[in-house]
Amino acid sequence: MSSELDFESRLNRRTIITGAAGGVLFSGLVARLVQLQLFEGERYKEIANENGVKLDLAPPIRGAIYDRFGVPLASHRQAGRVSIVREQTPDMDATLAEIARHIDLPMDERERVIQQARSQASFQSTIVKSELTYEEFARMTLLAADMPGVRADMAATRSYPRGRDFAHVLGYVAKASSDDLSRLTENASPEESSLLARLFRHPDMRTGRSGIERAAEPWLRGEPGFRRLETNAAGRVIRELESDDLAPTPGRDIGLTVDAELQRAAIDRFGDESGAAVVLDIETGAILAFVSTPAFDPNDFVNGISYADYNALRENDRSPLYHKAYDGTYPPGSTFKMVVATAALEAGINPDQRVYCNGYYRFGNRTWHCWKRGGHGNVDMHWAMKGSCDVYFYDIARKIGVEHLADVSRRFGFGQVWDLGLTGGRGGTVPDDAWKRAALGEPWYEGETLNYGIGQGYLSASPLQLALMSARIAAKGRLIEPYIIGEGPRPDKPIPYAEPLDPDHMQRMMDGMYGVTSEAGGTAWRSGDLGLGGPRLAGKTGTAQVRRISEAERRSGVLKGDEIDRRLRDHALFVAYAPADDPKYAISVVVEHGEGGSSTAAPVARDILATAIRRDSRAAARWQQTASASGSGNGGGNP
Amino acid sequence: MARAARASAIRFEDRTLAGTLGELPWGLVLMLITVACIGTAALYSSTFTNPEEAGLPARHAVRFAISLGIMFVIALVPIGIWLRAAWPAYFVTLAMLVGVELFGLTRGGATRWLQLGPIGVQPSEFMKLALTLALARYYHNNLTFQSGRFFIHLPALFIIIVPAALIFKQPDFGTTLALIASGAVLIFLAGLYYRIIAAVFLAGIASAWPIYMFVLQDYQRERVNTFLAQLTGQAVNTLDDGYQIEQAKIAIGSGGWQGRGFMEGTQAQLDYIPEQHTDFILTVIAEEFGFLGATGLLALWAAILGWGLVIAGRSASLFGRFAAVGCVATVAFFILFNVAMVLGLVPVVGVPLPLVSYGGTVMFTTMACFGILLSVHIGRDERLSTQGMI
Repeated sequence: MSSELDFESRLNRRTIITGAAGGVLFSGLVARLVQLQLFEGERYKEIANENGVKLDLAPPIRGAIYDRFGVPLASHRQAGRVSIVREQTPDMDATLAEIARHIDLPMDERERVIQQARSQASFQSTIVKSELTYEEFARMTLLAADMPGVRADMAATRSYPRGRDFAHVLGYVAKASSDDLSRLTENASPEESSLLARLFRHPDMRTGRSGIERAAEPWLRGEPGFRRLETNAAGRVIRELESDDLAPTPGRDIGLTVDAELQRAAIDRFGDESGAAVVLDIETGAILAFVSTPAFDPNDFVNGISYADYNALRENDRSPLYHKAYDGTYPPGSTFKMVVATAALEAGINPDQRVYCNGYYRFGNRTWHCWKRGGHGNVDMHWAMKGSCDVYFYDIARKIGVEHLADVSRRFGFGQVWDLGLTGGRGGTVPDDAWKRAALGEPWYEGETLNYGIGQGYLSASPLQLALMSARIAAKGRLIEPYIIGEGPRPDKPIPYAEPLDPDHMQRMMDGMYGVTSEAGGTAWRSGDLGLGGPRLAGKTGTAQVRRISEAERRSGVLKGDEIDRRLRDHALFVAYAPADDPKYAISVVVEHGEGGSSTAAPVARDILATAIRRDSRAAARWQQTASASGSGNGGGNP
Repeated sequence: MARAARASAIRFEDRTLAGTLGELPWGLVLMLITVACIGTAALYSSTFTNPEEAGLPARHAVRFAISLGIMFVIALVPIGIWLRAAWPAYFVTLAMLVGVELFGLTRGGATRWLQLGPIGVQPSEFMKLALTLALARYYHNNLTFQSGRFFIHLPALFIIIVPAALIFKQPDFGTTLALIASGAVLIFLAGLYYRIIAAVFLAGIASAWPIYMFVLQDYQRERVNTFLAQLTGQAVNTLDDGYQIEQAKIAIGSGGWQGRGFMEGTQAQLDYIPEQHTDFILTVIAEEFGFLGATGLLALWAAILGWGLVIAGRSASLFGRFAAVGCVATVAFFILFNVAMVLGLVPVVGVPLPLVSYGGTVMFTTMACFGILLSVHIGRDERLSTQGMI
């Protein structure tokens, strides 16, 4: 019994020791918990917080572009869109087909989505459709909840509220192609290049393809930021965290000198005609309207234009893609006669000396015709200008000579590219002996000087240059330079041509242009009244020959109007300034294939000028006011 | 006084079912249910972000309910029957283990399953219980006042080693350890001299190196390496070998005092921890309920196991006492090893946390252990003669 008691007490002792050992082990675990959770808890909490956070590159909001009064021309707007993530979607085809049952999504678009989704990592999202209507967005928001991998959200999209109006000036943005990317990273360091490449792969990122959008890309783009995204261990985004401290820096805005309403009115005035118009502020050289019509809608390009639509634009014979006011060069025709007359005055030709015009001019064994078949009779310089007598100008051009003509042309702004800070821009041609030898390998023939005298031949100029010419006349010879960026990345100014134009000579040109519109015998005397009960305009008509009229045609009576194909008709030109007695606005108008400078171009110019005066388009720009208020000198016009 | 209480107890044969149920330690049962509820909540939190795992918490709860029923059935089987069943159960299970060795199914690189008709069974799981019963049965008959001597324990050692070796070969390191640990506890309980225990302990330490070199499989060696590196603070590739334990430490540590709140743990919610609904479920509790939650769960388990030892101590029969301690030791091993593993104190060996981790087998094993424990409680006054039983 005693051994049994011993035995039992030993058993009890060992049971208790077993329990105690277990208790010790449990306590050891609790000690470890104390260490991990109480002593090192803060450190682990930090690690845990970083664990699930991924930094996602956030594209900056692109800088806006405003007109001089602060009207937005390029901005951004929130637009609904649907996107899809391949890896989360069980069946892409079925899902897209399901989406297509609720929103308009043609078969070829579905193909594109699948192609694009396959070409990128499976966890990246592909945009199925952007620019959803309110109804589509509402519907997709509801549906997306039940469709794995499908997401409906809002994104900032580049938007051009004025549509086509500033298509050529602003250009457009598009997703960066590999060509764009290599251009954008040309001078960048390897690190910058890889960041840019990452940035431009972002579905919301766009780059300027043309116009100011492209030329001012670095200014407009801004600096990318980051978004903190909470991700799970597989890298899937769970939600977005507060990330204001990493927010992208928005791009800088640009204030243009243009007046959106004047631009709109000018485009409306052209109607179905194609052509260009440039309105300049004579005091500063600021471009108030820069019209090239017809145009394309840059909004169509933001999310990628379809091949068919793009082809339609390319094949349109009115060249909507072409910036006629800046890239287009035309023979200035009779609008050039002020340049010839100025050159004549500088050469010492007496403006009162008359030349007899009987309708043609013989030189060597060839005959040059005046536009007026019966001739103008005896004309002095003033009469020759207002009647646009070709014979007078053949005569004085010959006397001046090609070299002096070319020199004076350049002082009016011809033959030079005016860098406005947008893509494109052509300087046209100011021909002289050296130019002809270089370009054609032939010497200059004197007969060509006669054509030069009436603005035809090799000579060509852009509508911008024609407007600039008339502005320099109206400014009494001050060498105004055109600009369109009021506030923003202004291009380096070209070195101004050293020799200004003589104010007295310019006064004579102004008188001549006044005669054209306001005196009997003027070629555009009907267009002189602005219809504002007082102010008149002064201008000069011109016709740019699209093809040379053959002797045979001339004998049979030149074909007119509808009889010849539109594409062969002459361009109608008009340059002007207004008001005639106190010039504020200078304008050039080209109506392509409009035939008559006085009949088609002059009324357009008149109405645009009237609008400019009525609207007071020169009124101080918003950015001028803010610039002066902040004391910064950046705003302001040209001195 | 204890004797008086026993004498006044109603003899087993005279009891009614209602009377027996009334005598059950309901506080213990309630604590088990509480642990299972905590497990279900933790599972819900760790799986609700993943639609594919949405059914797990409910299935866990259902399994627990079924296991609870099985526990009561086992509990109501008279302790004498368990005594008689001990040897047959052990040898049948041993035969099945041999069967696994010969025609077992290989899943995930380990041969643990035996196909019996339509169902696949894992004999190693049964062995945990069978071994406990067999050892209890052995000591019930053979324990004498000479119990300190080594030779008395030699057969017990064989009873442990044979199934342990078979299971180690499968390989199933966790179960092998569980068998050895609970067997060792019973040998200790039986009264082996401390000096022999110390000698075996030293031999164990001495044999660690040869075992590491020649017995462990490559992947097991790799785990041990990673573990040692992590324990000594060396840099390990956290995206590879040490990833799981590193993320577990982050989850547990970030819980702090009070935790991040139910379903607020970022580590748990963002699927950073592999196996977080099975072996690493404690990370969810520690992250979301903090130090208080984790120690609370441990305290609950400690109370349950302590209660189990009390039941063992009150058993009149050696079989009852040994079976009860064996069951407590089996469950305690799981808990201690699992928590130590999750806390980075022992190498990662697939050992689940009973009633909390998702998984059916361990749930049934655990609840069967508690069934035996309750059966011991009910039959605590049976002295269980073994005459003519072997």
